Parts: sequence; structure tokens; C-alpha cells
Amino acid sequence: MISGIHTINILLPIFYFLTLVVYFYDFLRGEKKLVNVKRVFLFITLFLHLIYIVLRTIAFDHPPITNVFEIFTILAITISFSYFLVELISDIRGTGPFIIILPLIFQLISSLFIQDLTEVKDVLRSNLLGIHVISALLGYSGFTISAVYGFLYLVLFKDIKLNKFGLIFNRLPNLEVLERLSFYSAIIGFIALTIAIIIGIIWLPIAFPRFSYLDPKLIGSTLVWLLYAIGITSKVLGNWRGKRLVLLSISGFIVAIISTILSNFLAHSFHSFY
Amino acid sequence: MNLIAISINHRTAPVDLREAVYLKEDEIRPFINLAKENQIKEGLILSTCNRTEIFGIPSSNDANHEKFQSLLLNFKPAQNITEQHFQKYVSRDAIRHLFCVATGIDSLLVGDNQVFKQVKDSFQIAEETNFAGYIMHRIFDAAIRTGKRAISETSISGGAVTVSYAAVQLTEKIFSNLSKKSALVIGTGETGEIAAKHLSEKGIGSLAVTNRTHEKADKLALKLNAKVIPFSEFKDSIYKFDIIISATASPEILLSKDDVKAALKKRSNNPMILVDIAIPRDIDPETRKIDYVFYHDLDSLNIIVEQNLTKRKSEIPKVEKIIEEELDNFVEWYNSLQAAPAIKDLRDFFEEIRNEEVERNKNKFSSEDQEKLDIVTKRIINKILHHPTIELRKADDSTGSGDSATKIGIIRDLFGINSRKKSEKD
Repeated sequence: MISGIHTINILLPIFYFLTLVVYFYDFLRGEKKLVNVKRVFLFITLFLHLIYIVLRTIAFDHPPITNVFEIFTILAITISFSYFLVELISDIRGTGPFIIILPLIFQLISSLFIQDLTEVKDVLRSNLLGIHVISALLGYSGFTISAVYGFLYLVLFKDIKLNKFGLIFNRLPNLEVLERLSFYSAIIGFIALTIAIIIGIIWLPIAFPRFSYLDPKLIGSTLVWLLYAIGITSKVLGNWRGKRLVLLSISGFIVAIISTILSNFLAHSFHSFY
Repeated sequence: MNLIAISINHRTAPVDLREAVYLKEDEIRPFINLAKENQIKEGLILSTCNRTEIFGIPSSNDANHEKFQSLLLNFKPAQNITEQHFQKYVSRDAIRHLFCVATGIDSLLVGDNQVFKQVKDSFQIAEETNFAGYIMHRIFDAAIRTGKRAISETSISGGAVTVSYAAVQLTEKIFSNLSKKSALVIGTGETGEIAAKHLSEKGIGSLAVTNRTHEKADKLALKLNAKVIPFSEFKDSIYKFDIIISATASPEILLSKDDVKAALKKRSNNPMILVDIAIPRDIDPETRKIDYVFYHDLDSLNIIVEQNLTKRKSEIPKVEKIIEEELDNFVEWYNSLQAAPAIKDLRDFFEEIRNEEVERNKNKFSSEDQEKLDIVTKRIINKILHHPTIELRKADDSTGSGDSATKIGIIRDLFGINSRKKSEKD
């Protein structure tokens, strides 16, 4: 089983790369016949990724959420799965290459550095931790997709203003749809992060004797949560829309990235396990 | 095939000459009568602002392109038109040309949908005037099928290629659902009217028009079920509209940057699209600098138009492939109308039926009678087919003008010999 896991570990970045190539080719050419082909590629990659995660969980006796490289592979699958659903439900094409490049990067880093961990701290085997981490990751996946759609909104907005009617203009959906996709992804991310924070607040003080409310990851996540709370409330109340809203979404994503980097690689807290 | 075609079009003649021979609908019918009197037994007359074309199958072999030309020029006397202004086609080339016209690849505006409709209308007139015979009918069907295939299988008609339509296409890149948006069209001249029609066809939520001459605005509003805003008051209400298209002949700016700024403030920065398709411009181009205002003028719309035209041109080879396929199918069908293979197919068809029935029932007869049954049924079939066979051979020998083809075609259709053979092949 271990050799199978190692093989899939090498194959996964290749599969994500091939999927990206098909999506990118379709973006350039816009041929009808490629629509289903690219979905099949993404589906096969997702399926392979799911097998990989199940095999890892069985072989190493813990879900792959105990270090940053395990988390990266989960991030890769949650982002691609979320995008797969968005494409199926909304039938909006043309944004795929901009999203799929992210799982490729996450999976590539994960595949290069992931190790076969069999020894993990007992606290990391908790089910509550599993839900805490997975909901936090789903939250960040939602914010990532929201930021990508926000970024595409800004690019298209600028292109239309400057009379640039190239590939971006021809292939992307319209501005209102991009804004909506960015907003809905942010809402899903916000709900998931809220669940992660609630579980964290209830469970973390019990699980960790060194627990502190001044933990950098906790402060960072709260800041991100607050930013999205302000944005979503403003949109719902009708005060904010369009460019301002997507800028907020992109800012939230940047804060989330910075907070993750700071808390995982620079600061030492109870949230660091490796 | 004895099909002859002549065409005077945008490639061969300037607009004044095309105008001179243009046949209005009420002229086409008497012209068809004239053509019939001059031994053109079936055909098609297509006349639009860009082309006048005559397709016809003459009754005799001595008819040629010159006869078609003089027929047209006698009916519509026009000076300065020479033979060089006409394109001439015969047989397979004539059908190919008709297919090219129907698919829009021969149009001034490549992929123009309008011409497909005009070709269908011409077919309709030919049918109403009994100018569409058996062969022309099949040509019509093939042309319509080719036109439909070109539209559905390629992007030959994709994208906006007129400024008014490009304006509407642009709004669809900003707003997702036009039925929830409102639009104002300033100026109800030809361009304004077309833009308003496009918006209406796209299902705009609410449409308003304004014009210096109130009656013109009223007339268009009635046609499109739109509201009318008095020209003197429209500036005060621009904040109510998501899309504003301006196409007046006004020599000065109608909407200043300050007007638009004030409107946007009233709309709480809800995006506004301003499309200026007037020369000189109606809307201050400085408005493009305002955030949440998408300002576009003729120059920017022309970029879209040019891009779409280039894309359409790149689809021509795909359409040509479809045309060749349909042409091959048609020619294959036409060749099946030769007398010898048709007689053989007809005889095979009857023989097959006879044989089946004999095989199925021969056990009901004694062994001596079975042989007699075979002989008698063969004799019946031969007697039934004797006269049709003679007639088909006679028609084929005599005129060569397509009469035999028509007869054979009808016989094939009646007995389903073509479709039967085709399904056997498949």
C-alpha cells in the first residue's frame, strides 16, 4: 500500500498539470468539444486524489491534517472539488485555469515535501480536531476561490473600461456573475470558518494546556473572519457592491495567507505541531 | 445538370448598378412569369440590396447565361451594366454558389443571418408562383439544410458585427440579466431604433426612448412597448437607467461629466453603461474616467465588430466543408435520376417483393405448382413494369432537359427506392 501511495503522490501533480493544460487550451481556443473532456480530466484527478487521501489515512492511521504538507494536499482537493461543484451547478466555464493552478501549486509542494508520518501526537488523532481543521480548510478554500473570482472581476472590469476586448473579455462570464461567484464562495468560506472558530473556542482550551487567546493563528483567523463579516453584512445591507466588495475579498485572502505564513513558519505557539 | 445561374452582387458591381436591377417583391412575380414565357421552366429569383441572382433550369439546351442576362436587363433596363458585372455559374457550381449565399459566406457582412431568411423568402415566392419544380425543390431543401448546419455547427454567425448589436453585446458582459435592467435610448433615428430593437429582443426589463421630435419617439415607443421621456427632461431622469445608448445628430454634447456624476451619486454608485454611437459624440468622453461608469463610443464598439468579423472569416473553411458535403449528397441523389440505374433499382425492388412473397407462400402449393407460381408472378411483375420502363427510356432519349430526371425522381420517391437503398447502405 505504501508504494501505491508513493506512486499516486508523484502522479497527482502530473494529473493536476494535465488538467490545467486542458483547461488552459480550452480557454485559448473556446471549442465546444473540449467542454466535457476537461471535466472528465478534473473528475479523474479528483477521484485519484480521493483514493490517495483514503489510502494515507488508512496506512498512517490518521487523517492527513497533522502538518502543513498534509494540509496542502487537503487544500488542493477541497479547492478543486469546490470548483468542480461551481462549474457543474453554474455551468460557467472559462474561469477554470485560474482556479486549477492553485491546487496544482499546493499539491506540488505537498508531493515534494510530504513524509510518511506514523507517529503523531495523541491530540492530533481527535475527531473534533478533524472537524476543526477540515472546516477551517474549507473556509480558506472558499476564500481562495472568492479571491480568484474577485481578481478576475478586477481584470475584466479594467479591460472593459480600457476597451481591451481580448481573451479575458471573450471567455470570462460577465461582471455581475463574477461578483456573485466571489460573494457566494466567500459566504461558504465564512460559514466554514465560523464553525472552525466555534469548535476551536470550545475545544482548544480543554485540549491544550498552553492555550492562549493571543495565539497568532487565532488573532489572524479572527481578523480574517471580521473582514469577511464586514463585507458580507455590507453587501446584504446593500451598501457595498462591485469593485469595493471584491477588493475586500482579496484583502481578506491576503490577510489569511499572511496570518498562515506567520503563525506556521515564524511564530511558535500551541497551534504549531512540527 | 442543366442549372444556370447569374449573379450581380457587391463583389461585381457598385451600389448604383445593384440598385438599378434590384427587384422588389411585387416585381419578382411578373419577372417569374416572363421567365416562364422564355422557357425557364423552374428556378429561383433572389434580390436584396447586395445582390440580384437568377437561378433557372431551361426547357431547351440552347438557353445560356446571356439569355438570363438579357431577360433581366429587358425587365429592368439599366445603363452601364455590362457582362463583366455578372458572375456566371452552371450545374454543380451554380448549386455551390447558392449554398454559399445561403450560409452567408458570400455576404458583404460574413455570416449575415439576414440573407438566409431572404433565400427562404425567395423559395417561398418560387413555390407560390409554381416556379419551383421537382429538382428546384430538392435544391431548396439542400440549401436550407446547408444554411442551418452552418449556423449550428460553426460560429459563422457568432458575435456582433454591427455597431448597434456590439453595444448590446457589451452590456451583456457587464450585466448578467437584462430583464432586471432598464435602458434609455436617446435619439430615434435609424441607429437608435436598431439599438432599441436589439435591447427589446434581448428582453430588457424596461425600455424608454427620448427624441427631440416627440412624435418619432412616440412611434418607436409604440412599436417596442417602451416609455417616452420628453427630450427637455431626460437629463433629470438618467439616474434611473442602467444602460444609456445615445445616437442623435446633435452637434453638441448632451450629457456632461457632471450630469453623469450626479446621476451616479443618486444611484449609490450602481454601475452605468453609456454607449455613444453618435457622430459627433453626444456624451462627454471624460465620463469614462468615472468609476462604475462604462463609457463606450464608436471607436471601441468598432474594435468588437472587427474582432467578430475576423473570427467569422476564420470559420469560412468549416462552412465550405459543410457545403461540399451537402453538394456531394445532392449530386449523388441527382445522378441516381439516370434512367438505366433507376430502371434496374425499380426492377430489383419489385423482384425482391415478389421473391419474398413467393418464398413465404410456396409451401401452400404442391411441388409442381411451385414452379408455375414462380413463372406467373414474374410475368405479372414484367407486365406491370413494362410501360414505366418504356416511358423512362423514351424520356431519357428525347429531350435531355431534366424531364426524365423529374419522372425518375417521382418514381423513386413514390416507391421509397432512394431511402431504402440508403438505409441498406448504412
